[in-house]
Amino acid sequence: MVRTRKYHSFAIVAAFLLPSLLGFLLFFFLPIVSTLGLSLTRYSGGRTASFVGLNNYLTAFRSRTFQNSLLVTFNFVVFSVLFQILLGFIFAVLLNKQLFARDFFRSLFFLPTVLSTIAVAISFMLILNPSKGPANDLLVFFGLRPLPWLASPRTALATIVSVTIWQSFGYYMVIFLSGLQSINPNLYETADIDGATAFQKLRYVTIPMLTPTTFFCFTVAIIKAFQVFDQIFIMTGGQGGGGPAGSTSVIVFVVYSNAFYHFRMGYASAQSVILLIIVLLITVIQYRKQRKWVGAL
Amino acid sequence: MGGCTMRWPERLWPKKNYPLGGFLTYGLLILIAALILLPLLFILSSSFKNESEIFTFPYRFIPQNPTLGNFAKLMEDFPRYILNSVKVTAIIVIVQVITATSGGYAFAKLYWPGRDLLFLLYIGSIMIPLHSIIIPQFILIRNLGLYDTHLALVLVSVFTAFGTFLVKQFFMTIPDSLLEAARIDGATEFKIFARIMFPLSKPVVATLIIFSFRYFWNDFFTPLIYITSPKLKTLPLGMADFVSEYYTYHGPQMAASLISIIPVMIVFFAAQKHFVAGIVSTGIKG
Repeated sequence: MVRTRKYHSFAIVAAFLLPSLLGFLLFFFLPIVSTLGLSLTRYSGGRTASFVGLNNYLTAFRSRTFQNSLLVTFNFVVFSVLFQILLGFIFAVLLNKQLFARDFFRSLFFLPTVLSTIAVAISFMLILNPSKGPANDLLVFFGLRPLPWLASPRTALATIVSVTIWQSFGYYMVIFLSGLQSINPNLYETADIDGATAFQKLRYVTIPMLTPTTFFCFTVAIIKAFQVFDQIFIMTGGQGGGGPAGSTSVIVFVVYSNAFYHFRMGYASAQSVILLIIVLLITVIQYRKQRKWVGAL
Repeated sequence: MGGCTMRWPERLWPKKNYPLGGFLTYGLLILIAALILLPLLFILSSSFKNESEIFTFPYRFIPQNPTLGNFAKLMEDFPRYILNSVKVTAIIVIVQVITATSGGYAFAKLYWPGRDLLFLLYIGSIMIPLHSIIIPQFILIRNLGLYDTHLALVLVSVFTAFGTFLVKQFFMTIPDSLLEAARIDGATEFKIFARIMFPLSKPVVATLIIFSFRYFWNDFFTPLIYITSPKLKTLPLGMADFVSEYYTYHGPQMAASLISIIPVMIVFFAAQKHFVAGIVSTGIKG
């Protein structure tokens, strides 16, 4: 039912909206527009900036460091997102059944997501210490070869991906759990009457019904993964991090060190615009795919 | 499963669960539970160990000579970090409750041109990586003369798309007729907001408080950009400093980690449903 309504007076709307709107305009909207402008300049944080056109973008795409950071970020996103969502899904399905100590497992799996990433990163640095950490002690105890973890360019990124999965899969488990609980139980009863096996119910009822949830999880996980920074900063050695040999140098880390360490703010802005465009493109593509997929059901 | 004759009590296996499937399920659950618990126990136990005992093998979870020495090493700087974190987090949470509830009211219950478009922009902002606006934000804060102040941390967190969305969705469920009745009785919008809507929104405000608390208590990136004075640093930033300066002080590092984890854990176990509600309410709408 649509009714024509009188607008509220400007003063009243402003009084309610202004606190939030000012924050939005000043610290969100203005910066986003300015990033685009800054990315076209050479600016080192002082009083003057010189216009350089698209030079920063050309430099970025020719830079080995930036190319490498795109690749590292891409690897991080693919592996962290896939495993977080896969594990989130599996444990949501398992913990949606009637099980002994179900609430305990749910809480425990969810717990790491609320903890400080910094504290988690610091702790895993000790646990994964190559020469004396308990993780390698355990591997050796089971007759396996000890791993270099963060100390080798071949394993450093995988280690950080693993720690990220450890901390975050519970988040997606919770989203999947609530998705599962919104599935109409009649569908399962109908499937039972038709003699469907547990696997068939999963394949033909659960997974299709969870498609919107899955898309949502992917969107959130991808946006988050592109922004990974804290773990990398702590676990690879602060401002000089991103190593060994650039193997963990993700986009945000490169943006951070260019902007706030080397004070190449124009250049860093161009890189952050590239990050922004990538994230927006992926989100839009996903959104359109979702409409096609979900609409087809 | 014909070969499996062992019967489990019904209450453990209420539905048509086969013992083998059950074993696999529990095996997997216990494995993951151990993988999550062991690092947490490592933090707890190392916090009370001497440096030499942290890396002993075979590993001992109960320290042989329990010590508070690790915490003593933190006494110089950490009380201030903790105080700063408490202060900054508390102010941001209060400010966010104000902006989110008043903003949510403006979006849900007031009518004005451009409302839906602006709300769309608010929601769209969730997709924008924080790091792609940080440079101009930093320049702005610096030009306002607020670099290296706690006020900077508060100002950049005033706007919360998540909070506004959460509260707006909740206010939408409250029938307009309730407000109309109050308006007819002569109540001003402020009175309606303060006397009716805000009290009604307690559960959703609780969710927002807990969500913001967790986020800002753990926030590392924003303080890293805006704070340089040691006396203004928050706990995560102080921990990062400590680790890079005293990288061989493993015991104190774990003690600091423990300190930073415990408040969130307490809130988590006391109000878990709000953490879940916060995730689910934004999630299921899709």
